[in-house]
Amino acid sequence: MSTLGLLGLGVSLWLAGALASLLAGHRRAASGWLSVAFLVCGGLLLAAVVVRTFTAGPSPEAVLLRVGAIDADLVVRVDYLSALFLAITSFIAVLTALFSVEYMSRYRHDSVAKYFPLLLVLFVSIAGVVTTADFLSFLVCWELMTVASFFLVIFERESREGMRAGLKYFVVNQAATLGMLAGGLVLWSRVDSFHFLALRDAFGALLGGQPALAHLVIFLFFLAFATKAGVLPMGSWLPDAYPAAPSGATAAFGGTMTKLGIYGLLRVFLEIVPLSPATRAWGLVVALAGVGSLFVGTLTALKQDDVKRLMSFHVIGQVGYMFLGIGMGLFLLARSPMLGLLGLLAGVFHMLNHSLYKSCLFLGAGAVYYRAGSRSLSEVGGLGRYMPVTALCAGTAALAIAGVPPLNGFASKWMIYATAVKAGEQVPWLVLLAIVAIFISLVTLASFIKYLAGAFMGSRTTEEPVREVPAAMLVPQVALALTCVVFGLVPLMPLRYVHAAVTGLLPEAGLPDLAAALGDGPGLQMAVGMPDVAVWAPLPVAAALVVLGLFSYYVIQRAGGATVRDVPAWTCGEEEESTAAHYPASSFYVPFKHAFRGIYPQVRVTPPPLPVWLRRVFDVDRWLHSPTVRMVGRGASGVSRTHVGIPQVYLLWIVLGAVAVVAILLGLIG
Amino acid sequence: MSGDILVTVGLALLNVAVALLLAPLYEGIMRKLRAALHSRIGPPITQPFLDLAKLLGKQDLRAVPGKLYAAAPALTLGSVLTLALLVPMGTRPPLGGAGDIIVLLYVAAISAVLLMLTAFAASGPYGAVGGSREMMILLSVEPVLAVTLVVGALKSGRLATLGILDWQVENGPTMSMAIAGIAFFLALQAQAGKLPFDVAEADQEIMGGPLIEQSGPRLALFRWALWSKQLVFAILLVELFLPWPRFGVFPADLVLTLLKALVVLVLVAVVDVVNPRLRIDQTMGYFTRVAFSSLAALAFAVIGM
Repeated sequence: MSTLGLLGLGVSLWLAGALASLLAGHRRAASGWLSVAFLVCGGLLLAAVVVRTFTAGPSPEAVLLRVGAIDADLVVRVDYLSALFLAITSFIAVLTALFSVEYMSRYRHDSVAKYFPLLLVLFVSIAGVVTTADFLSFLVCWELMTVASFFLVIFERESREGMRAGLKYFVVNQAATLGMLAGGLVLWSRVDSFHFLALRDAFGALLGGQPALAHLVIFLFFLAFATKAGVLPMGSWLPDAYPAAPSGATAAFGGTMTKLGIYGLLRVFLEIVPLSPATRAWGLVVALAGVGSLFVGTLTALKQDDVKRLMSFHVIGQVGYMFLGIGMGLFLLARSPMLGLLGLLAGVFHMLNHSLYKSCLFLGAGAVYYRAGSRSLSEVGGLGRYMPVTALCAGTAALAIAGVPPLNGFASKWMIYATAVKAGEQVPWLVLLAIVAIFISLVTLASFIKYLAGAFMGSRTTEEPVREVPAAMLVPQVALALTCVVFGLVPLMPLRYVHAAVTGLLPEAGLPDLAAALGDGPGLQMAVGMPDVAVWAPLPVAAALVVLGLFSYYVIQRAGGATVRDVPAWTCGEEEESTAAHYPASSFYVPFKHAFRGIYPQVRVTPPPLPVWLRRVFDVDRWLHSPTVRMVGRGASGVSRTHVGIPQVYLLWIVLGAVAVVAILLGLIG
Repeated sequence: MSGDILVTVGLALLNVAVALLLAPLYEGIMRKLRAALHSRIGPPITQPFLDLAKLLGKQDLRAVPGKLYAAAPALTLGSVLTLALLVPMGTRPPLGGAGDIIVLLYVAAISAVLLMLTAFAASGPYGAVGGSREMMILLSVEPVLAVTLVVGALKSGRLATLGILDWQVENGPTMSMAIAGIAFFLALQAQAGKLPFDVAEADQEIMGGPLIEQSGPRLALFRWALWSKQLVFAILLVELFLPWPRFGVFPADLVLTLLKALVVLVLVAVVDVVNPRLRIDQTMGYFTRVAFSSLAALAFAVIGM
């Protein structure tokens, strides 16, 4: 079977899974397990697609459908970049669905028929977005993705905030997509084709002839992808929408959907826009947008008390790192292919890592909510004792996102910093960006220490005992946390595929191969101009940590043979209830938070002063829904008034009815 | 090849020995000096060793069950010793081929992370206040360290510690590195947890902060880690910012480096004696100013001074 055949079969299986889970929607567990089964089968096929692409090279294109009216083809193909995203999507898809099976039992009053099918449709549309080679089908899948995720965001219909967040998400993303559509149409009108290669020709001509229009089109594309990725200020929908969705869906958003903004960015700037001074200029914009986003997003995250809201702001911050890496890469490509490549690799690798640890963190937050029933860090606490596996996975992922070596988040951040500092010899302000990024990675650390301390450490605020979450919810977390560790210890392994994906987009740019850029492993050795400019070899450092830690424990800490005794925490002799002496998570870092207050302005949008009658016209509830409901209700109560429960009255009704029927019959005959 | 590995292992053992055994001695000298400035007699120089020996034999009190909490002090010390492997001491750093200045910066943060997590784990309010302060100090000090180390990387064109060291030895003092060195010294005071920046421990105020639950061997290891860390950072300061004169003979260079580190720590002790404790917001404000001033070093480095 051809690669595309496998792809088709895999995606069809996912679609079939959506249908099956919808049909089984009234049975909670069956619906969940069915979707997992279909996702696993389809995911295995997609894994085969990925393996085959990376071993045998990209698949040839195939025309799926011809739309004669507008002379457009729906073109499917799998190149290295598609394969990379397919791999992430199938991995995260299976794990989040598996987590959701048990997790959804929390929502007793909501049917899973409005969850699993949509989740599967979301994954199908993501697979579609990353495997099309023409703008039209890209747009169709993109829209499908927005719609499916919109319904996941408003899963809890009765929650007013959830509905608001969903609406905001939908409107903002639709607006951005409309802009992208306009940009695409401008290009289409030049070449009469939606194929990416044709758009590339159109761009080439446009950049030569009408640079202002070309930049406007690029801007529209940038806006759409930055909005989806959650870069501030366009991404302000994100911290509202993410917490509203169920945690399994949030993990899928954070692990896969947000990343499609990065995918679009790479496609547009490396494939559709030819390498030109425009690439350089827009690289600058992307990098600066990234730094702004990571600065504001992460500092705002520090103030949050809601676990999922905190993590959502970190999505914004982490996307900033990716934009910084990719933007630097685009900016430097023309000046030095080596540094350009390193920047791009760093950004894309960070995206890969972020998929892993952010999904793990959202799942962990879901597990906390599942058992403790609250997402407020000041209310939960001390869960680590009862949920050790969840705590360990969340701890690993939290340290990974904070960039603690030797985990994976550090490897990609290290690449971003090292590239920026090395490029700083030629472009000094890049060093400043690197220093901002280093500072912000500490803020990330602060905020995740707050998360770990608030959720898993300290004492429980209530006496209610909790249990560890079921195995089906643990397996995804453990798998993700382990992958974080593995990617951290052997970063060159995933980087090989990232490198193939990036260089596959720029075959003619003559980018250096991986061994020239980062050495031949197992650690990373950056060589720009001279050998060993920067080095990060996780294995020796991890080995040293383990050996010296063991040495410190067995040779020093246990040297005196001290007897071990468990004692309660000491509150200086005061006999206080632990709740009275509790130091809540909201009290952490108050002076620091105070120094950065007002960094995330809250804008209250007031409705425009429309005339009253116009508002009434739009208020469908007022003149259509509410009156209809009232009338039906009144009718129903009228009918119910006739049912008084007295046999004689019913007899009377029967007699009256018979008389009426006879009268009507007589009337008809006569 | 095997000879190379043998030399590396030898160097690693030496660095660990310096960080482990010399650190309490230097702390003893600092205590003696502090006592002299207070017009006291003070404890003997070997007092830190005696303290450690006594603490190691005491009961191991644990406020939190679990293996990770039990091993936290050992991991903290282990991470500081790993840091020692990334720092050059008279010659190339034994793990220099595995980590550059960015790695060094982040490995240095591991011990602080472990200390904070230990503080938060034990549900006491004093520990939590101390942990929270510790984080804020890290937040304000680390950018200063980042700027100063990046200045070295910009000058030498390499991020490896040895690259910066070699460049310094070859090119002699420069304006930018001098400013960076001063900023690094100011940050060292807080890294070592000395007055006026000991807000996280603040014995008279929050009773040791993150260390309040620690006693016996656990306290010994945390203290030991702190002393080792201040020594390692002092060595890093003199190696990167004051590596002259360099003889090229390893033992002589090592002895000279250790002597210079002693001078640096003596200065730290003097600053410690003559200053009162700052509040946490004052500390953060102070280091914000230091960080922005150290950007001047970056500017000088860019224009090649």
